[in-house]
Amino acid sequence: MKWVFAGVLLLFAGMGLVAWATLVPAETPGVVRIRWATDANPARDVQTRLFSEMYPGVEVVVDPGLGGDQTKLIVQCATGTGPDVVDVYSKEQMMALVDAGILLDLTPYAETMGFGVDKTYPAMEGGLVVDGRQYRFPCNVWANCVVYNKRIFDDHGVPYPRDGWTWDEFIRVGKQLKETPSKSGEEHIPFANWNNTWLFGDLFWGAGGRFYTEDGLTCLLDSKEAIWTMRFYHDLMHVHNVVPTAAQLASISSQGGWGSGGLTLFSGGKAAMISIGRWYIIQVPNYPQIAGALGAVRLPRVGNRESSGMTDARAAGINIKSHHIQEALKFLQYLASPEYSALIVKDGDSLPPNPLLAQSGKALVNPAVPDPAFHQPFVDAEKSARPVDTSPFVDALQVQRWLVEHIDKVENKLMTPEEAMKELTHAINQQIRINLERQPHLQRKYERVTGRPYEPGWWRQYQGTRVD
Amino acid sequence: MTRRKLSNAARFVILCIIGFSICIPFVWMVSASFKPRAEVEEVNIVPHQPTTRNYPIVMDLEPDPVTGKKLNMRFGRWYFNSVFIAVGVTFLQVLTSAMAAYAFSRIRWAGRDTVFLLYLATMMIPGVVTMIPNFQIMVSLGFLNTYRGLILPAAFSAFGTFLLRQFMLSIPRSLDEAAEIDGARHWQIFWDVIMPLARPGLIALAIITFLGAYQSFFWPLIMLNDAQFYPMPVGMLALDSSYGRQTELIMAATVMNVVPLIIIFVLFQKFLVKGLQLGGVKG
Repeated sequence: MKWVFAGVLLLFAGMGLVAWATLVPAETPGVVRIRWATDANPARDVQTRLFSEMYPGVEVVVDPGLGGDQTKLIVQCATGTGPDVVDVYSKEQMMALVDAGILLDLTPYAETMGFGVDKTYPAMEGGLVVDGRQYRFPCNVWANCVVYNKRIFDDHGVPYPRDGWTWDEFIRVGKQLKETPSKSGEEHIPFANWNNTWLFGDLFWGAGGRFYTEDGLTCLLDSKEAIWTMRFYHDLMHVHNVVPTAAQLASISSQGGWGSGGLTLFSGGKAAMISIGRWYIIQVPNYPQIAGALGAVRLPRVGNRESSGMTDARAAGINIKSHHIQEALKFLQYLASPEYSALIVKDGDSLPPNPLLAQSGKALVNPAVPDPAFHQPFVDAEKSARPVDTSPFVDALQVQRWLVEHIDKVENKLMTPEEAMKELTHAINQQIRINLERQPHLQRKYERVTGRPYEPGWWRQYQGTRVD
Repeated sequence: MTRRKLSNAARFVILCIIGFSICIPFVWMVSASFKPRAEVEEVNIVPHQPTTRNYPIVMDLEPDPVTGKKLNMRFGRWYFNSVFIAVGVTFLQVLTSAMAAYAFSRIRWAGRDTVFLLYLATMMIPGVVTMIPNFQIMVSLGFLNTYRGLILPAAFSAFGTFLLRQFMLSIPRSLDEAAEIDGARHWQIFWDVIMPLARPGLIALAIITFLGAYQSFFWPLIMLNDAQFYPMPVGMLALDSSYGRQTELIMAATVMNVVPLIIIFVLFQKFLVKGLQLGGVKG
């Protein structure tokens, strides 16, 4: 037995020697290294190399393990070992990180260093600031359009969708794709619903809906626009059968993860349409069967309203405890540069942060999709899009989780749309009241917003008959 | 007799169905690793256009045929790291658990059972609760981005101590007494008497620990920022990004990652089952 242990110890020691001897030193003398928490997109190599060329003496190291994973980010930032630059994928996430004291207030630096909110799309301003202070700057910006597979439309003899179409026309097109036999004999799904929250959000925005009142004190998800949206979402699946539920999609596709089964179904030529941002085309080289077959059109209109949907950004913020704040600020300066935006245009990684390089579809042409007509709708969509509205009195990520739960319940027919939206609104309004009752800093915010002193019965005036 | 045969046959069929359904994900994993990208989302088990290129692509020996670029994955390094960390954790955990189990089972000292219960109670604390304090301790000790930070926290285990203690309780005390009469001290009794007899339990713990440490993901994810220290599960995140999830490459990497585990389990499964059974017989 002793010899077994001795043998294993020798093996471990030998491996340890090999491991130690083959380590590459982390630091390059004379170079400041900053860590960028983002995903493992191969395009990051080119992006970081260009930064080093433009800012000698500073090197960016990509930490892909942090890309999108909140746990590692929170644990490391809480202990002062977090990354220097953090990719923040949504406004809700930004608000959570600001509340947790993780993100640096960029406002004092933004204007002088050239990455203020005026340097990107006007529609994005609300998505980059909290209480009037800027906390992030876009790495790329997205607004959804309907991307369609022309070959599938030709196969079924259905005309391509055109700009200005309505959701009723969307249903008609979907039914035609389902009911008209294809020339090839293959069956196709009319629409790959890869993200039910985004589809709901785009419908809701298109209907002119809002999550909250201007003061953020009352949730409006039981408004007629919200109930219409949920009812319409339900009917797309269960009445018109042009959109599969998330569970149906998962059962069809063998792939999950980043983008879920809907993306791979569309990419594999099994679905005719998908609602997505321009960033989809970074995957086109992986699927040669759809190259040259893609078209795009703005989201359908709700009634006579203009086509409108959500916008947001993968945007970089700075860790307030970073040991290299000046270098991290230079990185944000780099993100606002035309050189970086040109890379984003070429890679097809959604819209560039600098709108001067996205003035038209022609300006966005790239090797994956050289047709300007494909890119133009994304330019147009960004002009009429708006970010998610949030309330400072309730955790935006918590609201998002509840919304997803209720969308799932409606999808699975566990609740009617009306029941779901009323229950959701009640829960959010109740949480707003609880948060105000328990958090003095929110009470001060309430007094600033309303001009009135906080008192326990405040909600009777604001949330009124919405409360049970 | 016929009834018995029918009953056995029915049991056999049910077990085959269960075994088959458990095997399906593994079969699909291997099948997907031999599919090209365009085919990977299909549900067919036998690839229409089988290819072996996914394996050299993952090992960075060939470029990705679609992008024309190598993945820059340090597959060999990450594989080595996984094995190195697993060997280290297994060695230390088996050794420390055996010594602790000996103290809790063979030596009588004041407060022994209370201390053991307290030690066991630490198993009730969820890992999420202790994650930040543990991480802070590692940072304070300067173990961030080091192998020590991955191996040392896992070197001690209440579960391992409990398993081996139960095992050692089943060894007759008369053997200790006989050795004491011959002048043996605790260290000699531990190594020369108890450890050889506890071999099935030690092997069982070694296998469980190796399997766990080899597949460990969350703690290395938090502890490591430098890719050269990544074990395989963390390194494979490189295949999942906004660029797209490259399922066929992930499956190829997973097959290569899982092969050592399957070999170890197949070779030592009887010791594992025996060790767990014998440890549980006498409490």
